[in-house]
Amino acid sequence: MVILEVRDVVKSFGGLRALQEVTLTVKKGEIRAVIGPNGAGKSTLFNVMTGLLSPDSGSVRFDGEQITGMPPHRIIRKGIGRSFQITNIFPRMSVFENVQVALFSHHGKSRNPLSMARKFKEIGEETLGILDRVGLGEKYDASASVLSHGDQKRLEIAISLASRPKLLMLDEPTAGMSRFESRETVALLQKISREQGLTLVFTEHDMDIVFGISEKITVLQQGAVIADGTPAEIKANPEVRKAYLGEEIAE
Amino acid sequence: MDLSFLTVQVLSALRQAAFLFLISSGLTLIFGVLNILNFAHGALYMLGAYFMYWVTLQIVGPAGFLLALVAAPLGVAVIAAVIELGLLRRIYIQEEIYQLLLTYALVLIIDDLAKIVFGPEFKSISKPEILSGSVTLFDGTVPVYTLLVVVLAPAVAALLWYLLYRTKTGKVVRATSSDREMADALGINMSALFTLVFAFGAVLAGLGGALAGPARTVFPGVGTEVIIESFVVVVIGGLGNLWGALIGSILIGSLETIGIIVFPEFEMSLIYLLMVAVLVVRPWGLFGRPLKVKALSEKNLAMEAQEISPVHFAVHPAVRWAPLLLLLLVPLFAGRFYQYLLTQIFVASLMAIAFNLLLGMTGLLSFGQAAFFGVGAYTAGLLLTKTGLGTLSALALSPVVAAAAAGVIGFFCVRLSGVHFAMLTLAFGQLIFTVVYKWYGFTGGDNGIQGIPVNPIPLGGLGDIDIGSTQSMYYFVLAVVALSVELLRRIRSSPFGATLKSIRENGQRAAYLGLNVKLYQWTAFVVAGAFTGLAGGLYALMEKSISPEIIHWTKSAEPVLMSIIGGIYTFVGPAVGAVVYITLNSYLVAWTEKWALVLGLVLLTLVLLLPGGVVGFVNEKARQTLGKLRCIRKWSFSKSATS
Repeated sequence: MVILEVRDVVKSFGGLRALQEVTLTVKKGEIRAVIGPNGAGKSTLFNVMTGLLSPDSGSVRFDGEQITGMPPHRIIRKGIGRSFQITNIFPRMSVFENVQVALFSHHGKSRNPLSMARKFKEIGEETLGILDRVGLGEKYDASASVLSHGDQKRLEIAISLASRPKLLMLDEPTAGMSRFESRETVALLQKISREQGLTLVFTEHDMDIVFGISEKITVLQQGAVIADGTPAEIKANPEVRKAYLGEEIAE
Repeated sequence: MDLSFLTVQVLSALRQAAFLFLISSGLTLIFGVLNILNFAHGALYMLGAYFMYWVTLQIVGPAGFLLALVAAPLGVAVIAAVIELGLLRRIYIQEEIYQLLLTYALVLIIDDLAKIVFGPEFKSISKPEILSGSVTLFDGTVPVYTLLVVVLAPAVAALLWYLLYRTKTGKVVRATSSDREMADALGINMSALFTLVFAFGAVLAGLGGALAGPARTVFPGVGTEVIIESFVVVVIGGLGNLWGALIGSILIGSLETIGIIVFPEFEMSLIYLLMVAVLVVRPWGLFGRPLKVKALSEKNLAMEAQEISPVHFAVHPAVRWAPLLLLLLVPLFAGRFYQYLLTQIFVASLMAIAFNLLLGMTGLLSFGQAAFFGVGAYTAGLLLTKTGLGTLSALALSPVVAAAAAGVIGFFCVRLSGVHFAMLTLAFGQLIFTVVYKWYGFTGGDNGIQGIPVNPIPLGGLGDIDIGSTQSMYYFVLAVVALSVELLRRIRSSPFGATLKSIRENGQRAAYLGLNVKLYQWTAFVVAGAFTGLAGGLYALMEKSISPEIIHWTKSAEPVLMSIIGGIYTFVGPAVGAVVYITLNSYLVAWTEKWALVLGLVLLTLVLLLPGGVVGFVNEKARQTLGKLRCIRKWSFSKSATS
């Protein structure tokens, strides 16, 4: 079943065509990598898909529904979670609060001004549950700002999970991490995808990770899709080898 | 309209524009490079005028005048360099609000020092004879001095252009102004550059003061008038943009001149109206660009220690209610003076805690909160004097009208952020102030409203409660404030409060939680406005007279100061700040005239040593102690387990 369908999306900035009729289809439960050299349009594509930018033309359909041009906060409600390249958490709040506040939003409680936040026992349990899943259960009362880089990334993923997304979009989930931290994060993502049938779309520079976990890979170059297929197909694609991967996978 | 009239008016507008440009060009330059909105710029202008005054007294005649015109700005530059090296430098890594506060503390200190050195009275600076006369130009009589100013200011502008666009240092300044990180990466010596730019901005302010001094007068506090005008200019032109400052100065100079002729009553309102109009249409000013959004800047992280709230930690209700019980008993052993002082503190606490819902919780610095205090106070005051409405109904309408005003103003303000948000709230606040100040037919203008009748509150069939006496007013205000504070506390601990906090920490991320960030900010603005309005209503009841001063921007600074004194990341902090502020005020005013100086020094100490405020500091110490205790306990457990 198709969960995300990007069709003929065009986006220009001034004279620069950042996206040229990009078409992309992602199935439910799939792990999809979007790769390409710097400036290929990956971030623009992500921003169009999550409502931060409106495309000049073309459409984005999610779960059978038009979401083109919707503001981010409505797209999130439809079930798309997003994690950012730069770690994007609430630094001067506790780890617990970081996820709790996301759950309040998900359960439509954010507007409640007069009940005590800690009286919401079920949301509290759920918060601890999510923190356990990403391995931060022990650190729930630490300030998010003092966590290690890897832990902050886990926290960010935990925040994204709180909105129970059907699709999670991750912009370079292992950027700036040590080798050990990257491997742990990748394992965590795979686990979450497997356990919950969550669809993942991610960008990544590290080719070991890309070919290690993706089921499908889309290659962008200068704003256009030049290849789309399984890791094996992509490895074998001469155009990709020439244009982008070069020596890197030429065994 | 004849030619002579036109000549005189055009030159008068240009003269005004010239003064404005000299001051605001320095202000905007400093903002561009240091990212600091320098409140003390008006005080530097004042120093320039005083130095001019002093030097021309020592050496009389044209030579002295000329010398003073050079020496005064240089003297100001030296003082500015000392300020930058000794004080500003220490707080660049802190949040914007602390930088604003430090420069505000400098205003208080410099103003009072000027009063000590030069005396409180107005001084006029004598001009040499050749500059005192007038000439006839297109049939109009124009003072020679005006011509001098009108010629000198463009010369300064040309020099500025040369320095910025034709010298190496100028290029560095422009590069830093447009992208600080890039300039930093290129290996530019930032600290030397900052000192240089701050001192150079001060030269411009000092020159403005030195030139304006002989045309206007000098007195301690003249800076507070000048600085707001310059804020208007730089915000209209675009913060950090020199051409913006030039165009803004000409616009405001002309508008003031036209205003005086066409709408003499509402001349000042026109300026704020223009500022509001510009910011609504072009949020970053005419020539400005959006400031870089620092979602997760190092600045935020530098303050990380300020608030780490252990989720399972809650104050026992008894601890919360004990102070209330104590306060109920106060009138039994304290006289009317203390009861009155405490009543003042209650009202100020309510305003400060409500205000901190914006600053501390949502991360929005409102610099026009006095407007809502004033709207609340005038609502109650006007209803009680002009209609037969009962005391409680009039008071109940204060927050309603204030909330409505906050709803309209907030709609425009929440579209902006950071310093632009602060400036737009300031503009709206001053707009309301100038209207109330001049609208004699409705608000009583600068006379205010005296003798507000406060009738007893009927209690159904149980008789009336008279709140006329100091003591009964004490209890009445205490009851209303206690209830409101409890409501505000609940808001803070609620999911809504947690959501506001998340918006403060990272607005972009909050939007990705599916939250309509602007709507939440607007709601916080309205709630804060409503409670501030209620505080204003209480003020009208207890004082029984009100005047427009309660809406002036210096009044808007009070809740900011109180919150920071107490600690903006704590709930009771602003109330503690109100206690400190009002107690200091009433005792120091009795002892010494130097109240502003002491307050300035207190603020300075606070910013440099206790950035978390009094309560923040206590919390931090408590947490450290608790942390140690926990370690000791763990250690002793493990010991007993092994032995």
